[in-house]
Amino acid sequence: MFGMATVIACGASDAAQGQIRFEEIARKAGLSFQLHNGAEGKLHQIELMLGGVAAFDFDNDGCVDLYFTNGATIPGLKKTGPEFYNRLYRNKCDGTFEDVTEKAGVAGEGYSMAVATADFDNDGRVDIFVAGVNRNILYRNLGGGRFVDITAKAGLSGVDPQLGKMWAVSAGWLDYDNDGWLDLFVSNYVAWDAASEPACGPKEGRFYCNPDAYSGLPNQLFHNNRDGTFTDVSRPSGIAAHIGKGMGVAFADFDHDGFTDIFVANDSVRSFLFHNQKDGTFREVGVETGVAFREDGAAIAGMGVDFRDFDNDGMPDLAVSGMINDGFLLFRNLPGRQLFEDFGQRSGLLRGTRQLTGWGLGMYDFDNDGWRDLFFAISHFPALDRYIGKSAAQPNRVFRNMNGKRFEDVSAGAGPDFQVAALHHGAAFADFDNDGRVDVAVTTLEGPVKLFHNITRAQHWLAVRLHGTRSNRQGLGAEVRVTLADGRTLQGHATTSVGYASSSEALVRFGLGDDATVSRIEVHWPGAGTQQLTNVKADRVIEIEEAGGPRP
Amino acid sequence: MKAAFTLAVLLLGECQGFGQTPDKAAATAAYDRANRLFIAHQYQECMNAVDEALRLDPNLVAALTLRAKLAMAANRYDLAKENLERAIAAEPASWYPRFLYGFQFYQQNEMPAAIASFEHALKLNPRAPEPTLYLGLADEALGRTDEALALYKRAVELEETSGKLRSETLLTYSRLLLLMGEFAECGRTIARAEKVDSASRDPHFEAARLAMKEGNPAHAAKEGEIALRLHEGDVTDRQVHFLLVQAFRASGQDADATRHAAKVHELDKGQKR
Repeated sequence: MFGMATVIACGASDAAQGQIRFEEIARKAGLSFQLHNGAEGKLHQIELMLGGVAAFDFDNDGCVDLYFTNGATIPGLKKTGPEFYNRLYRNKCDGTFEDVTEKAGVAGEGYSMAVATADFDNDGRVDIFVAGVNRNILYRNLGGGRFVDITAKAGLSGVDPQLGKMWAVSAGWLDYDNDGWLDLFVSNYVAWDAASEPACGPKEGRFYCNPDAYSGLPNQLFHNNRDGTFTDVSRPSGIAAHIGKGMGVAFADFDHDGFTDIFVANDSVRSFLFHNQKDGTFREVGVETGVAFREDGAAIAGMGVDFRDFDNDGMPDLAVSGMINDGFLLFRNLPGRQLFEDFGQRSGLLRGTRQLTGWGLGMYDFDNDGWRDLFFAISHFPALDRYIGKSAAQPNRVFRNMNGKRFEDVSAGAGPDFQVAALHHGAAFADFDNDGRVDVAVTTLEGPVKLFHNITRAQHWLAVRLHGTRSNRQGLGAEVRVTLADGRTLQGHATTSVGYASSSEALVRFGLGDDATVSRIEVHWPGAGTQQLTNVKADRVIEIEEAGGPRP
Repeated sequence: MKAAFTLAVLLLGECQGFGQTPDKAAATAAYDRANRLFIAHQYQECMNAVDEALRLDPNLVAALTLRAKLAMAANRYDLAKENLERAIAAEPASWYPRFLYGFQFYQQNEMPAAIASFEHALKLNPRAPEPTLYLGLADEALGRTDEALALYKRAVELEETSGKLRSETLLTYSRLLLLMGEFAECGRTIARAEKVDSASRDPHFEAARLAMKEGNPAHAAKEGEIALRLHEGDVTDRQVHFLLVQAFRASGQDADATRHAAKVHELDKGQKR
């Protein structure tokens, strides 16, 4: 009898805790950004793909700020007016934001797509890299709320000696050689020129062309020379040998060999997993590790990606969003095998997402129950409405992780805005109000930004902010393991490259459920030592500075 | 898969009757000749014969549908639609032009219009397996999995009743069963498909996928190897090799996995089947 009562009580409690909830507060928070793609009915491919957003603390005031990329005119690819400016919003730490774009000098140039933020020069201030169709920009953070464009000096214009400026869709920062300085990976999509845009569909009902109508491109890798300049190592590293149609990019040390690896979601061709060979080169192992295709051997229209541990076995797994009728992918990293299992069918995610087209995504523990959930920014391609029988505008989706075995779509109860359709694209994840719950900023094509404030019932949590001394300043690539009182271990790693064309906070976050303390925190710095802390109180951001000597 | 279905559907129509035989013997003779040429893949000659038939009898429904199929084979869906509309106007009670009308929408991913036509075709002939199957496919594409599953099951029954059970229909059913986690029924359906078409690699590939889901990579590898030895079917070598990489790696046979991975890379480079 007692056993039955316990089961019932636990069940009820689980259901109550289970509902992830958000409220959409962008307007209330003073976020007035509108994403403009410059479309004029000519169905240019670039119009579809923009929307990158970054969540980062540019002024080190402890409150996460937002940077939005924006489009331009077509075919001129120029930001002819303020409506096309990229925008920086400073978080005033009181629940509101202010637009500081012009003072900061980060309005941008050209047709911007993506943003990647990190402290590339280890000066303690987070910098901004903008990737785009005709222009990439590196803004160095000078402090005092000002940035300067150092793209040319840094050698990051992205102009390839043979291919010219390629259309970049995503970018991300990683320290691939563990030298303590962040390098830059740029994901390039397809060869595109407004003048030779192909026409697809019948004359009376043109639609945007399938990616098959365009040639793929190689990605790029730039090595940080530690002096504010970069060297293009795309070819010597082996990265450029693989032609894809690059979309989202994510980093993790998937085999725990101490070096960061790279996953690139490709559109309609197989995905890439670049395994770091520890000597400045990469070997592409998507086929060998089982992540190149869906389990039936089909290439999906890969869009966003996140590379984190969903089943708490200590290994980073992969979630990849795709297009309607693809189903989103979930690959479970099998410990010690350099092999992933396609977990989409078993987890229910494949079936639950077959009718969705997903862009940004993030694998975060939104209810802090100790299991990372999934948030997807959802919308179909405009002009396909009549073909799929539904509007391109769609509501977002959130899936709750049921103990690492299943994902359950809990969108219906996740708040009124989860019933509101829009052309959702980029998504950036951070705790904007420092309440320990992960919030989400989402861009919408030709529409206003949305800020999803997480109001899920509070549970215990811990966030780790890393300060590298020998390693890169933000500790990107460091692995953090948290051991709970009952011996369970949670794993995470520091990265800002999350989802599609976007960048998220660098903190490593853990939901702790009922645990108000953690027994141990272990930090494995990239290519360097390990540090431990014991008996750490929860519900706070803990700062960990790397012990040991300075970086080279 | 869609391409293979297209060919199957286009050829299928050749043995369909249209209820009424045109009076004009010359037109019928020209159509018969066109039909033979279509089956022989002599499309230009076939087109000439169809034009001749329609010159003699502009409302000859069999010739109009054949012309529509030729147009679809050439990706001229506008012409296909026009000819099928004429065929439907000439014989509104005939299910086959109505089905093909839906099929051309389906091929262009216009699912709501496709569904409306398939449903109309089914009203005209509730025992026709083709609109049943394709209504299921269109429903599945729109996320109506329960409806799709019921329609696939019905299509299998109708084909069985007519003595024309097809492996493709069974495998369409089995794939959705696999997705929905109905492993036992999925396995039985794949086994039936294998019996129906023992020369096809497709049932073995599906059996291998099922075995992977059931945690039996050794059996998956065995089925995958069988699939590779067979050359008929829609599944590509690359798909089979990729599956075999997973199966052998999961079985701990890394050397075999490496061999198949090398094949995938080789196929990617050459873009061969």
